[in-house]
Amino acid sequence: MDPSEVEFIAEKEVVQIIPNFSLDKIYLIGGDLGPFNPGLPVSVPVWLALNLKQRQKCSIVPPEWMDIDKLEEMRELERKEDAFTPVPSPYYMELTKLLLNHSSDNIPKADEIRTLVKDIWDTRIAKLRLSADSFINQQEAHAKLDNLTLMEINTIRAFLLDSLNCMYKLRSNLQPGSTKGQFSDY
Amino acid sequence: MFGEKALELVRELHRMSDGQLPAFNEDGVRQVLQEMEALFEQNQADVNEAKVEGRSELIPSIKLRHCCLLRNQRCLTAYLYDRLLRIRALRWEYGSVLPPNIRFHMSAEELQWFSQYKKSLATFMKSLGNGEGLDITQDTKPPKSLYIQVRCVKDHGELEIDDGTVILLKRNSQHFLPRWKCEQLIRQGVLEHVVS
Amino acid sequence: MSDGLSEDGSDINQEDEDVMTPAELIAKLEEAWLNEKFSPELLENKSEVVECVMEQLTHMEANLQRVKKGDAKASIHRMEIDRIRYVLSSYLRSRLQKIEKYFPHVLEKEKSREMGDASLLSPEEFAFAKEYYANTETYLKAMALKRMPPNLQTIDMLKAVPEPCLDSFVFLRVKERQENILVEPETDDQREYVVDLEEGSQHLMRYRTIAPLVSTGAVQLI
Repeated sequence: MDPSEVEFIAEKEVVQIIPNFSLDKIYLIGGDLGPFNPGLPVSVPVWLALNLKQRQKCSIVPPEWMDIDKLEEMRELERKEDAFTPVPSPYYMELTKLLLNHSSDNIPKADEIRTLVKDIWDTRIAKLRLSADSFINQQEAHAKLDNLTLMEINTIRAFLLDSLNCMYKLRSNLQPGSTKGQFSDY
Repeated sequence: MFGEKALELVRELHRMSDGQLPAFNEDGVRQVLQEMEALFEQNQADVNEAKVEGRSELIPSIKLRHCCLLRNQRCLTAYLYDRLLRIRALRWEYGSVLPPNIRFHMSAEELQWFSQYKKSLATFMKSLGNGEGLDITQDTKPPKSLYIQVRCVKDHGELEIDDGTVILLKRNSQHFLPRWKCEQLIRQGVLEHVVS
Repeated sequence: MSDGLSEDGSDINQEDEDVMTPAELIAKLEEAWLNEKFSPELLENKSEVVECVMEQLTHMEANLQRVKKGDAKASIHRMEIDRIRYVLSSYLRSRLQKIEKYFPHVLEKEKSREMGDASLLSPEEFAFAKEYYANTETYLKAMALKRMPPNLQTIDMLKAVPEPCLDSFVFLRVKERQENILVEPETDDQREYVVDLEEGSQHLMRYRTIAPLVSTGAVQLI
């Protein structure tokens, strides 16, 4: 899956914005939004929040977890534990990137937040590489992947699945007559 | 050695990266077919001799030639089929009109396959949603924002946007256009995305 | 703002009496999209979802035609339409790619389907697959097979075109708890064992093991 598609899915997450305009309730296919009143917080999907922000029609309220103290605590826990610790949002990485890139003026200490989230991400990806390695080495047939986010899974998807398929082919080709698909099999 | 020419055809495609279509190797294809004909004729003769004169020592060479025939068949069809897959991908990349330098690399039969493929795809897309129709060769990337800034690389004429306005795509002019309207024109090299 | 945009169009009644709101319909489409993207084989078609979504889009586009340029709501509706149309196109593209890649197998499976089984292909996809098969076969015959010795003029498309590999690994999230899912060993010195799939948990395992759970909707591929 292309990372832009993961980002696309993350953009469905809801954030609060403070609009500077008035608009009646909107009946979208995916649900109702609004009404919008200047200065009154309202929940909208991230894709809309970013667009309104781009057009200078709102400020974005950062999610509660996007906070230095909370993230520092998370980073320590992530470094201490061997397992993957629960994340504050299934799209923490994408949301951090999107909100910091488009709305950093609404987020206090944006640079520190960027660094903290990057640290958490790096720690988790290092763990993920280790587990993928042992999964392949042990020739496991099943793994539980709780607390992993879609973006994290996506970083190893192609590599891991291709490797597993290759190994499977090498093993099954040991038996004669098991080859199929002549067109692609030269 | 037998089968060498057929394998060379396969290698020829294997060396190319995924999206590329080398010129159709008519000579190579003909040579493989000639080799097959020769192998077959020799086998016919040997089979007769083996049967009529009971020369069973000919059987191993008959078998060998038959294996070569099968391998030639397999490599040649693999060559032709892999080219079809590449040609298919071109429809998605360039739209229904291929650039002349690519058409030049295709055989007459490939052009025919391509035109039938285009027709099948168009019929499929027109029939979607009870005949409502949906062009699924568009929208190939997740939408980012509603409009993007584009620059016109060459004169293209008029373009109608969904709200009914008509704009003139003139070389070097810049426009703020709905992203999905531009996708194909960008791929065709008419527009380029201005990244600010 | 025209009144047209104030309807939420919550009138999608299906024949089997389950009423879906447009929001649920979009969720169904997104599930189908990800499942189709990640499953190695072609899944059952979801024509009714596709048709209903297209109806919603057409309805909304028609309303937008009547709106003045520069309307604030219209641009938001248009962004939503773009997003939905992307998912819909991407979903249909994934299916078409698999149909093209596995055409002999897809058609064979469709032919051998029991009466009453859900059909793999939508009517449009079925028509496309048949044309694709005929076109490709005609081409190979004209270019190669007819010019080969008489005993080599046919080719078994089912053997020649690769089959989907159901033994591929997939990532999945459990939507409905499952007990005693058998995990087959990878090597001879391992033993098979069973796992329970808790609701909300995520797993990596072979597609073949959980394929039936994808079609019932008990698990979501991710």
